Amino acid sequence: MPAERRPGMDHPHYQWSPIVNRGKLRWPDGARVALCVIVNLEHMEWTEPEGSFTTLLAGGMGSRGYPDFARTSHREYGHRVGIFRVLDTLEKHGIKATVAMDAMTAENYPYLVDHCLKRGCEIIGHGISVSRMITGNMTEQEERHYIHSSMDSLAKATGKAPTGWLGPEYGESSRTPQLLSEAGIRYVCDWVNDEQPYRLESPHGDLFALPIMLELDDVVSLWQRRVTVGRYRDMLTEAFDTLYEDGQQNGRLMTLNLHPWLIGQPFRIGYLDDALAHMTRREGVWAATGSEIVDWYQHNPPVA
Amino acid sequence: MPLQPDRVDYSPIIDRPPIKWPNGARVALWIAPNVEHYEYEPEYDGQRDPWPRMPYPDVQQYSYRDYGNRVGFWRMLEVLDKHNIRCCVSLNMAVLEHYPEIKDAMVERNWDFMSHGIYNTRYLNPMSEEQEREFYVDCIETLRRETGKQLKGMLGPAISGTERTPDLMAEAGLIYHTDWMHDDQPVPIKVKSGKLISVPYSIELNDAPLYRQHYEGDYFAEICKAQFDQLYKEGAESGRVMCIALHPFLTGQPHRVKYLDEVLGYIMSHEGVWQTTADDIADYYIANNYDAAVTHAGQLNK
Repeated sequence: MPAERRPGMDHPHYQWSPIVNRGKLRWPDGARVALCVIVNLEHMEWTEPEGSFTTLLAGGMGSRGYPDFARTSHREYGHRVGIFRVLDTLEKHGIKATVAMDAMTAENYPYLVDHCLKRGCEIIGHGISVSRMITGNMTEQEERHYIHSSMDSLAKATGKAPTGWLGPEYGESSRTPQLLSEAGIRYVCDWVNDEQPYRLESPHGDLFALPIMLELDDVVSLWQRRVTVGRYRDMLTEAFDTLYEDGQQNGRLMTLNLHPWLIGQPFRIGYLDDALAHMTRREGVWAATGSEIVDWYQHNPPVA
Repeated sequence: MPLQPDRVDYSPIIDRPPIKWPNGARVALWIAPNVEHYEYEPEYDGQRDPWPRMPYPDVQQYSYRDYGNRVGFWRMLEVLDKHNIRCCVSLNMAVLEHYPEIKDAMVERNWDFMSHGIYNTRYLNPMSEEQEREFYVDCIETLRRETGKQLKGMLGPAISGTERTPDLMAEAGLIYHTDWMHDDQPVPIKVKSGKLISVPYSIELNDAPLYRQHYEGDYFAEICKAQFDQLYKEGAESGRVMCIALHPFLTGQPHRVKYLDEVLGYIMSHEGVWQTTADDIADYYIANNYDAAVTHAGQLNK
């Protein structure tokens, strides 16, 4: 619907709130920055499923005819090899991963589900597959069914329904936050518009946004924008330094979104290691999972 | 229902029978120059346009690649010789017929050859099953006739294929396919008959995708060394494969060739590098690791 010319947002999902006018957000132990690392375990389907929408997915040789061995297998590299490098690197720096796992991964890679759970990762919803985005083309019923079947798969595979959500390729319709909330989700990572968590409107219970730094998403920087991997490391550390500085006044959130098929390649992983070492050697950095951060935020809201 | 195309059993790299390369090497290094011919006036197959910039011929793009055969190949060869590299060429088979001096230079050095199709402007996607069968016969016979060698593997022409490709390759007696970017070790590929594996190639350490973008030789050298360092570290536990993919028209440019020299100098100064070919990696893996890998993955996925 076209916007009405009046103060505030042109949608009902959250209130307008410039960061300079907010109360002070205090993290545990007076930390300046809460660091959350989301690791995507997502399946790219061999053939594009009928009736689904997806963007041109990163990987392989770009756009190629069917069958695209290079692109689908490039992505599979994340499940076979890259994930272990990424989780090892996070663990080395004391970071518990928040794993965004789609239903096809949960159903077909029990080894990875167990592995992530054993390492203490939080697993959050990530749709059915990366080849099936949520979009405004879906009917409400289709979308509800999509969300439920994604969550059911995770509940079955992990023994616990997820409380967090990141849509495949950040996809939403105008109904998504409310439908997620109705399904039991407490926080959503699709909105990339802030450096603090914030409240989303929902009639079904508490719902929060846990915003990702889109420019620091490895696919956006390393694949779409073709930033060199050394420069990407510097982007991570420079972003961190600014947030650390700003976090002295008011707590900041740094949510990274990473893809093991990409950042988990042998020549890239060392740069992530360097960047995380830079961040975690400082005092006042709270590395936490999405739900830990949202729980804290809910119980310790910003104080004016 | 298993995930399509159901060609590969899931097997996480941290939980596999270890690979021991010859002489305890940590990394099997293979260098893959793509020696190619792109046709001046190819036939458009209705799916993928070989020269999408303009109506054929596209003299700028044609001759850019032809530079590789006239000049770049020879400059690159000096660097490869300096480091005693025995390559496994990703070969458009018709090069053997068009350019005898290139053929002789490769044969003299006892390089291995994997098929990269007949021409880089003829893709597999539109082929019928019969046409694709004939294609493998053509590749195998051309290599045997021109070099006396037995063809063992393929990187699809311009990395193209069909659903049937792995089955038809194995049926024709080929043992490895390098279109799979899924691992740092060889992986068994399920086929209807025979045995087929993937041997890790690279679309990341590959001059073609890199130099189509803004990256330059210094970056190529940086990431090749970083790749080697990581694989070398991990290869102490279980052998890894590292491939560097080259194109003479790109890496043979005067402003780039020194970076290849730098990379090879760096890697070859290490102990524990098995400088080899995809043919030899495939033979070794099938003889020593294939059965254990299949059994292990089968148990994991029960």
